[in-house]
Amino acid sequence: MLSRRQFIKTGITLLGSLTLSSCLKQDIFREKFQELTGEEKKAFLKRLEERYERKYGIRINVDATPPLKDAVFGYGLDLSRCIGCRRCVYACMKENNQSRDIPIQWIRVMRIKKEDFNPSDFEHSEHYYSPEEVPEEGYIYIPIQCQQCERPACVKVCPTKATWKEPDGIVVIDYEWCIGCRCCMAACPYWARRFNWGEPYIPKEELNPYTHYYGNRPRMRGVVEKCTFCIQRTRKGRYPACVEACPVGARKFGNLLDPQSEIRYILDNFRVFRLKAELNTEPKFFYFFSLG
Amino acid sequence: MNRKDIINFFKGLLEVTFKGGKAFYLWMSLLTLLLLIGLATYIHQLREGLIITNMRDQVSWGFYVSNFTFLVGIAAAAVLLIIPAYLYSFKPIKRIVIYGELLAISAVLTALLFLFVDFGKPERFWHAIPFIGTANFPYSILSWDMLVLNSYLFLNLFIVLYVGGRVYFGKEPDRRLLIPLILISIPLAVAVHTVTAFVYNGLSARPFWNASILAPRFLASAFCSGPALLIIIFKVLRRFSGFRIEEKALSKLAEIIAYAMAINIFLMLAEMYKEYYSNTIHLTSLKYLYEGLGEYRRFVFPIRFSMLLNLAGLIIFLIPATRKNPLSLNAGCVMIITGVWIEKGMGLVVPGFIPSPLGEIYEYMPSIREVFIALGIFSAGAMSYTLSLRAAIALETGRLRHPQAPPIIHEKEGLRARDIMTSDVIAVYPETPIEEVATLLLKYRISGIPVIDREERRVLGVVSESDIIYKEIHKDPELLERIGGIVLPAYRQTVKRGDTAGEIMSSPPVTAFPDTGLEELIGMITEKKIKRIIIVDSQGRLSGIVSRIDIVRAVEKEKIFFN
Amino acid sequence: MMIGLFLFFLLMFPSPLISDTVSNARIFSSPLFPCSSCHGVMKPVFSRRKLSFHEDITLNHDNLWCLDCHNASNRDRLNKTGGKIITFNELQSLCGICHGVIYTEWTQGVHGKRTGYWNGEKHYLLCTDCHNPHSPRFNPLRPEPPPLRPEKTLRR
Repeated sequence: MLSRRQFIKTGITLLGSLTLSSCLKQDIFREKFQELTGEEKKAFLKRLEERYERKYGIRINVDATPPLKDAVFGYGLDLSRCIGCRRCVYACMKENNQSRDIPIQWIRVMRIKKEDFNPSDFEHSEHYYSPEEVPEEGYIYIPIQCQQCERPACVKVCPTKATWKEPDGIVVIDYEWCIGCRCCMAACPYWARRFNWGEPYIPKEELNPYTHYYGNRPRMRGVVEKCTFCIQRTRKGRYPACVEACPVGARKFGNLLDPQSEIRYILDNFRVFRLKAELNTEPKFFYFFSLG
Repeated sequence: MNRKDIINFFKGLLEVTFKGGKAFYLWMSLLTLLLLIGLATYIHQLREGLIITNMRDQVSWGFYVSNFTFLVGIAAAAVLLIIPAYLYSFKPIKRIVIYGELLAISAVLTALLFLFVDFGKPERFWHAIPFIGTANFPYSILSWDMLVLNSYLFLNLFIVLYVGGRVYFGKEPDRRLLIPLILISIPLAVAVHTVTAFVYNGLSARPFWNASILAPRFLASAFCSGPALLIIIFKVLRRFSGFRIEEKALSKLAEIIAYAMAINIFLMLAEMYKEYYSNTIHLTSLKYLYEGLGEYRRFVFPIRFSMLLNLAGLIIFLIPATRKNPLSLNAGCVMIITGVWIEKGMGLVVPGFIPSPLGEIYEYMPSIREVFIALGIFSAGAMSYTLSLRAAIALETGRLRHPQAPPIIHEKEGLRARDIMTSDVIAVYPETPIEEVATLLLKYRISGIPVIDREERRVLGVVSESDIIYKEIHKDPELLERIGGIVLPAYRQTVKRGDTAGEIMSSPPVTAFPDTGLEELIGMITEKKIKRIIIVDSQGRLSGIVSRIDIVRAVEKEKIFFN
Repeated sequence: MMIGLFLFFLLMFPSPLISDTVSNARIFSSPLFPCSSCHGVMKPVFSRRKLSFHEDITLNHDNLWCLDCHNASNRDRLNKTGGKIITFNELQSLCGICHGVIYTEWTQGVHGKRTGYWNGEKHYLLCTDCHNPHSPRFNPLRPEPPPLRPEKTLRR
């Protein structure tokens, strides 16, 4: 009698500790995604998808498409075309599952008087402009998002190697590895990084179910996020959402290694410049004026 | 050392740390209350996220990180005591080094707690630990910072536990082990604060921090606030416990503060000159801090207030009279701690984010919840320091001691001031006329007479034969008694003129406590070339006098000969 | 000289130089009701005047007049460029006569918008998808709302 009870007790304890330890291994003391083998990655993505399905009630596809060979992404933005309409901001929010209730926006569009424009200093910029119609006489508009620097200041400071530059030039964040210390936010000269101060909320029907592990999959509270050049799209050959949303065609995207790409045409034929060039971060985000 | 010993040790430890008087329980209850409020608020923060703070993307570090920075400074400076104690063999400080190290331990722990509550995903903190997680060496300065802070923490813990253990068993700590460890802790103390400065300093995105003078400024201000906090703590301890500290040690600390504050203010002015004169786009943050940008001027009053406090503190500690007066010393310490807390806390962190790299201005001030959490953390730190101090004092006084350990030598063996002093002392009040003093000297055939205040019998000074002679012949004493140790030696050169004891007395008097050992008394008399030492209790009240002849008698009686 | 030569080649080959672009078919002259069903029987008038039928058209395109672009003899087509009368789907080459640099940039994907695949099939927009040919200046837009100020997100 006693021995049976003891047996059951031991069994329950053993089972409990086993599940607990496997839970701990899966959810807390996990290895970094980067260091998993292909099989483990697949299993982990599957678990992630299940978790999302439980949370949001719809199927969300999380892939981890690796960088394409022979591709380094570059971005061009034609400041003589941009009219500051913020279509890109909202297209980005939708595509990249950014929080809606406490809004997170990866793109910030600034309005600056023509005479105050200085690619190294935005002290005179206005962020909250809201006229009836844009463009307005005497102003230019400068959209800023992650500049995907070649020498990213944010990567250097991360104490956990939770953010790094991929071979295709995209600076990514592993949301499962970020501890939320926000050093990278202090280090970014372009104010491109956003923090999930609270639990992000996106209505189920507005969720974009086609996601990438390092990109637009729904995030959690307490981690940093930013533009990834729509890694979920661009690694599959598609243009980023902001490029497709721009009504004036001011946004240009392409492979810097391909001499036929539109970005290379821009680099070859326009006097392009990068923001805060003196900081030596070498953005792969080039601004230019196609007119005048 | 067996199991029984260990149990006994912990039993003793619990007893000496948790049993105390009314004041102790009141203090601990207050800390517990604050700690619980902080804890409850932190649980709320864990549930809701950092959204309950007032930090936002524009100002992404705030009150927590500010306090972290300030506390690292306190931790670094607490070990500053070691420098005069061991490098210059300044004995009065040597005894209190361990209390500085205890403060360093509590301050590092508190600082790390502040860092921890600032994390968005605190449960993942282990990602930052080398080998277990993926610490980003050698690139991330925060990784280095966590490394040096923890090394510093464990080094000090080791020293304190080692010394404590030896004392418990009544043994002397092995100096061949102790001295190197203590000497290592000096550069490590400088390192913790330098590396913390480098966390900010290295960010080219934030011109306000990206100035090479930042690390020196961090150190200078830490060497003000750390010792100031120690002075306050020692004074409180002296009042509420059997803790003894000599006035000399305190005024030495105040002197260090004066030097450090002068350097701190100089460095700040150098920084301001550079920014204002060159007047580049990088001036904006500094302008926001000191003048405000248009309607945005939330930091202007606090920072100006802190500058005023620092300056007042400097003046108080520069002048020997105010440095030595207990009241102004207290006031100066409080001013400097507050001044540095504003300057090297919020005043350093927040303007780094204003304006944002894109020129936005968001005026951050902590939310009430951030303040609650911070108070909780400070209470945790104060609690750990209180308890560790109690254990340390119990060890020092022998209340916590292994039963078989030899009795504390200097308590039992050898004569102490109380054994040889004359307790029946004639004293005068400040307003006593000189003629009367002279009569007393002649009548009792003594060479000096202490001057005390009427109400509390605190010793204010001594009138000696020579004071009267100098007064009579109106001649400069031309005695710079302590050349190196005084900031303004000229102050003491002036001949004192006057007709009362208070006006001509030598002040402050050379004093010792009733349990100061004979050896130390002899040292004081020979070193200072004085004729008598006034013995005071822990409150500074007159208890007796040890004169040269008392010492000669004691030596004769004890047959002690020094070679 | 070089530019002249380049323009000459452009006019020789009116279709875009990019091979992997796909144009959407446009229905300016619908097969059910082609322009020629009216204009076929009308005599073309070359002089500038107030239009009596297409009064919804405001012509604000420098000094151009209808028949500078629309083919007088075949209203379902546009005027000859590069020796060939062109359809409405090829209008870029007609625009390119005056806007040569922009045309070049458009062929390189720099002027105007491309969607689809950066390394594959691209959808590109024609001039008239964004610009009204009769009044080509880009119309102002109402901007999307500004971001929320951080002060507005604070919890009390």
